[in-house]
Amino acid sequence: MVHGVVLGGGALMALAAALFALRAMRGTDASHAVAEDRTRYLVWLMVFAAATLWLTVLVGTYVNFPPYRATPPDGLADLRQYPRSLIQSNPATVWLHAFAMEIKEHMPWMAAMVATAVAFVAIRYRSRLLTDPQLNGMATMLLAICFVLASLAGVLGIFINKVAPLD
Amino acid sequence: MTTTDQGHERMPNGAALASFLAAGTGVFAVGFFVIVNEAGLFAAPALYGPAGGVSGRTTFAAVSWLVAWAVLHRRWKDRQLSANRVHTITLVLIALGIMLSFPPVWRIVA
Repeated sequence: MVHGVVLGGGALMALAAALFALRAMRGTDASHAVAEDRTRYLVWLMVFAAATLWLTVLVGTYVNFPPYRATPPDGLADLRQYPRSLIQSNPATVWLHAFAMEIKEHMPWMAAMVATAVAFVAIRYRSRLLTDPQLNGMATMLLAICFVLASLAGVLGIFINKVAPLD
Repeated sequence: MTTTDQGHERMPNGAALASFLAAGTGVFAVGFFVIVNEAGLFAAPALYGPAGGVSGRTTFAAVSWLVAWAVLHRRWKDRQLSANRVHTITLVLIALGIMLSFPPVWRIVA
């Protein structure tokens, strides 16, 4: 709940808002004072997105993943407390570990690194992020990649949680 | 216009490009540590037992990212560089990192 909905959901909303703002507020016609004022909230939004992504990733890896991959005692028939073993016990759901969880283990770390880079640039260059087309374009591209990676991890997490929820 | 505003406008693009390229390096590092693990060439040790090998792979990649960022920032922060080339290399590294972390690709090397 905290990992997927609060942190992951918060990161996705912040990424979507930052992406929209980067495109909607860009332009070289605004005065520096106006651009600087517009950028203030965008900088905070990007820092928030990067911070929530890191929290999501760290909580997912070090809090949620260990109970997911716990090994059940030999001969245990009810595997509901052992999500990985439960998923792997049914050929129809094996892909949820072999594909979905493997992606969830690694790709969100990539999104967190890229979002941090964009947040750093937003803090350092502020209004230039909106007035410099090259900087704006690359920041938008990288945030879009972050959004796709985080969304993919989120959707796959929903699939896994439907079959083997972590209590 | 304030002095701070002028500072942002005149700041060389080196620091931005360093952070972008370092992020690309970090993404590639994740893919690299995943694929060498799947190929049986090198398994990063588990730094937190209950989480298993992913804790080692991602920590090694994160350290690679931070080291790359520190080195690139130190070298480029006061320089104005060609953005297009660095952007292209960054996107290629990101694409490679994602590809190497994609489970169907592992079957080719495993």
